[in-house]
Amino acid sequence: MAMSCRDRVLAALKQEPLDRPPVAVFTTCDTIGMMKACGATWPEAHADPQKMATLACAQADYFGLESVRAGFCLTEEAEALGCPIDLGTPTSSPMLKGHPFTYNPMKKIYDEPDDLPDIDEFLKTGRVKTAIDAMAIMQKTHGEDYVVIGGNTGPFTLTGHLLNTENLVYSVWTEPERAQKWVGAIAPYCKAFGQAMLDNGADMVQMSEPSASTDILAPSDFPVQSGQFVKSCLGSLKGHTILHICGDSAPIIPYMLDTGVDGISVEEKVPPKKAIEIANHRGCMVGNVGCAFPLFKGKPEDVAAAAKASAEAGFNVISAGCGVPIGTPDDNIRALVKAIKG
Amino acid sequence: MDESSILKELADAVVACDPPRAKKAAETALAEGMDPVKAINEGLVVGMGVIGDNYAERKMYLPQVLVAAHSMYEGLDVLIPAIPKDENVTAKKAITAVVQGDVHDIGKNIVKTMLTAAGFLVNDAGKDVPPATITQTMLADRAEVVCLSTLMTPTMDNMAKTLKLIGESGYRDKVVVTIGGPPTTDAFAEEIGADHRDENAQQAVKFINSKV
Repeated sequence: MAMSCRDRVLAALKQEPLDRPPVAVFTTCDTIGMMKACGATWPEAHADPQKMATLACAQADYFGLESVRAGFCLTEEAEALGCPIDLGTPTSSPMLKGHPFTYNPMKKIYDEPDDLPDIDEFLKTGRVKTAIDAMAIMQKTHGEDYVVIGGNTGPFTLTGHLLNTENLVYSVWTEPERAQKWVGAIAPYCKAFGQAMLDNGADMVQMSEPSASTDILAPSDFPVQSGQFVKSCLGSLKGHTILHICGDSAPIIPYMLDTGVDGISVEEKVPPKKAIEIANHRGCMVGNVGCAFPLFKGKPEDVAAAAKASAEAGFNVISAGCGVPIGTPDDNIRALVKAIKG
Repeated sequence: MDESSILKELADAVVACDPPRAKKAAETALAEGMDPVKAINEGLVVGMGVIGDNYAERKMYLPQVLVAAHSMYEGLDVLIPAIPKDENVTAKKAITAVVQGDVHDIGKNIVKTMLTAAGFLVNDAGKDVPPATITQTMLADRAEVVCLSTLMTPTMDNMAKTLKLIGESGYRDKVVVTIGGPPTTDAFAEEIGADHRDENAQQAVKFINSKV
């Protein structure tokens, strides 16, 4: 009997030998083609659990990807914690329009993280609840055959949304303990959101922590400013966990794996073979077909070549290196799938 | 304090990421009668250049760059008002913007800082800026340089739209347009008609200085 997509992904998470790796996007993947195919579109799909689940499942239903994943942005938690948001349009992502807390290290004017919402209330708020509810729907319709993935935002990134990322990063140099105090105060919300999605039907939490990339933090700062808090969010969750960080993550791959996750997702800015070599089988490796090129701007044959390169290098799950751009041509998604499934 | 010591102190204050020290050094420069343009170009800018080079080589990271930039601005806030008005007229003008649909502006802010350090008068149009606004700002300022940034892949299309509008404005041959941000590539810059794809802020300034 042929192996189900679900079993294949679960085996890949454990780095078990397979005839081929699964092809599945653990980061966001909700293209215009998927919206057209399934009828659930942005911006409604960000805020309606049924539409969110329908669009997430289009990944498998219409394009043959081997997991289903929601939500579709990194603003859900920030909004629930007080950030004003523009939900966007059918072709533009939700955007932060401000920050609910004052945190100005240049003028040394700060709010303290001692007046944050109750965590149980947070889980019942806005699009955090939408995503939690969507997990139950996805589990019911697709859970037997597919791994259900809930996406959330990493603690350093979410803290930046609430305070102003540039100011948070500034304070990493001037007042690192103050930055850590805030990230440490926000981390329990990330953990609770992840656990709530698992409790409601998700098999896996995929956390994105882009603001801790090496484009922003020094690799030596990562364990203290982000890694220890990611570990507190993901390390003890009762379910599978994947940590994604954008950019050239080569210098922090060991630290990412130190967080206790089942695996990590990296961009194509780390060449596939190099990523596998650094990871040294310490966790499931997810990636790393380039998003801007070849997925968005390249041709199907470019996508196929990149997918095969990731597979040949030893990636356990063949995936986009980051969130799939919504304008990605259908043929390029199909090329990604076909290159691996044959 | 002799002139070379003041200039060294201005540069060192930026490299040391010490805003109050940079402000004090700028005040000392003026008190000692130094030409403010010289204090900027041979003091603060030298320090910011050291930071920029180290950042480009990944020997320094963003937290340090942000504090160094603040130090430079603290010095500039003292020195720029002391520059005679007619000296500013000849400075080249640049526009920086994150294109519509994106609010991630840290990279753009670094480019703004390095352009300022290179002597440009920078009009920062901000983030989530529509293509028409960028074009109108460029025309109003008669800018020599436009630097566009995005972190998000979907908003790359608004870079293309901005280049199209700049082309239609009849001003394209008078302006150098560069693009930057993680999803952009050299091929994309060529496809949309930009003059350059900036790998980092130092490289952007180097290219722009070679063109204007």
